[in-house]
Amino acid sequence: MPGKGLLIVRQRSLIAITAALAAGALTLTACGSRDDDGGSDSGSDGTTVVIGVDAPLTGDLSALGLGIKNSVDLAAKTANKEKTVEGITFKVEALDDQAQPSSGQQNAVKFVADKDVIGAVGPLNSSVAESMQKVFDDAKLVQVSPANTGPTLTQGTDWQNKKVRTYKSYFRTATTDAIQGPFAAQYVYNDAKKKKVFVIDDKKTYGAGLAATFTGEFKKLGGKVVGTQHIDPDSKDFSAVATQVKSSGADVVYYGGEYPQAGPLSKQIKAAGSKIPVVGGDGIFDPTFIQLAGKDSTGDLATSVGAPVEDLPSAKEFVANYKAAGYKEDFAAYGGYSYDSAWAIIEAVKKVVEDNDGKLPDDARAKVTEAVQGVSFDGVTGKVSFDEYGDTTNKQLTVYSVEGGAWKPVKSGTYTG
Amino acid sequence: MSGVGPVEPGEGTRAWDDIEPPPPTGHEQAQGHPAALYYARHRRAVLASAVAAVLLAGGGYLYATRPQPPPPAVGPYPSQVVDVTYLGEEGSPRNAPRGSFTFAVRVTALSGPTITVVEVSQPYAGLSLTSMPKPPFRMRTGFGHKIVVTMNVTECANTPRNAGLPFLDVTLRNTRAIEDHSYILGERYAHDLSEALQVACSNDPSSLAKR
Repeated sequence: MPGKGLLIVRQRSLIAITAALAAGALTLTACGSRDDDGGSDSGSDGTTVVIGVDAPLTGDLSALGLGIKNSVDLAAKTANKEKTVEGITFKVEALDDQAQPSSGQQNAVKFVADKDVIGAVGPLNSSVAESMQKVFDDAKLVQVSPANTGPTLTQGTDWQNKKVRTYKSYFRTATTDAIQGPFAAQYVYNDAKKKKVFVIDDKKTYGAGLAATFTGEFKKLGGKVVGTQHIDPDSKDFSAVATQVKSSGADVVYYGGEYPQAGPLSKQIKAAGSKIPVVGGDGIFDPTFIQLAGKDSTGDLATSVGAPVEDLPSAKEFVANYKAAGYKEDFAAYGGYSYDSAWAIIEAVKKVVEDNDGKLPDDARAKVTEAVQGVSFDGVTGKVSFDEYGDTTNKQLTVYSVEGGAWKPVKSGTYTG
Repeated sequence: MSGVGPVEPGEGTRAWDDIEPPPPTGHEQAQGHPAALYYARHRRAVLASAVAAVLLAGGGYLYATRPQPPPPAVGPYPSQVVDVTYLGEEGSPRNAPRGSFTFAVRVTALSGPTITVVEVSQPYAGLSLTSMPKPPFRMRTGFGHKIVVTMNVTECANTPRNAGLPFLDVTLRNTRAIEDHSYILGERYAHDLSEALQVACSNDPSSLAKR
């Protein structure tokens, strides 16, 4: 055994070495800037405002609706974490409209009655939006839809001849069917080389409107409409119309409506012997369409608003954050547009608060509505701003084709007029 | 007695006895395990080496686990940063066929790495197209490039004489991708194109015959 003196000397040496190592490690660690900022979701003081979400959270269209809700939630959490608006905490309250106009209107009334609601994102369906617009507008409560494409919502019922904005509180980040329908017609006629179309719609605001804008452009290009039919959206038996398509000699079907009906319709058209593509708008652009339509849906086409998310460098952070947030449902077709819709409200609140010495003014709703008109920021889907009708100034569209059981982008276009 | 005496100090060595405590006894004696013997004789060097090794290992670990700088940003898809605007009708070039429609667009690369305009085309079967400057050409970022496009009618039956939103297709390339993108130039372009095509097809007997 070493002598006591030597032991003390060695112990001192070890202590000194350990201390030096520890100090060195701490110093080196401190030099690295690991980004563990551990932000919280909400501030502990200040004012809490609510962003309402109206969407179909249950039912056939819930895949799209839940993507909208989650994306707005992500926007609010991001704003709280980053303290985007000093002194303001954003909270999200989502109401289910079940894709029904009457439910949407009731939800609008509830949002208006809640004094904490500063703005609303939604709805999915243009027909639902029609029932909500006046309720919101009377209360000067801003509404930003990530998904409505019906032209009348922003440009009035006579939009083809004279555009008139009816509601100053209504905005949208999705482009309109005034562009989407003709865009599809141009692709179907010129690129897909289809000349004879059978047009079907579900008689609803979105479906009938989109079918009309498609038909108008297709005919102008020289295409022939060999048949038209309406379907009952509550039915899943489309065998009669499938037989009509078969006997019409059409080389393509255009469907104005949504995927819960479009999927079975495509399947039954093929089963009736017409091996021709079914084409639709953003309402059928969902993986559920492919599940419902089956393997024969290969070659079916859909147009949807915007560019594919994977093409957008601005969307990468959103996609990563959405995944990290652990939402159960996919952000789906309108996730990026929903995030941008919510962020437009957040940006507007920021401007209003900053213009009022850091506090919300008494007429905050009206001021926020005014401010949304003037927002301009780089969002998930690109530059976000609104024109004089409340329409988005970002007017991109993409054609997708069913290939290998998934939607694949085949052509994108940008309206620059 | 083992008969093996202590090793005589050689040149450059010195006796430790004056500073060392008495040698340990028992199994820890310097004359025990060779490693212990070595340690006893070179304690400072061994400790210094150990410290250096630990520091090196620690430094290596911290270096290996340091926050990585983000990978170099991949540039955007070219269509996401290019704007094409319709400027209006232009006079047709001298050698253009009768009934040609000439117009100008401004193409601007808004940001990102250099973008090349690979091709300007249009999707209609009854039309052909030429453009000046002739593609491919590179664009300077942030600078609007004027392109003069001349369309010639080849078959009136397949022209978009009343199209609401006619396309102009532009193929773009940058370091990220090569893309065909349709630009929908708006109502003014649609109007001018329709008017020009109607005039061209009304006045051209050979085209009329093909209608």
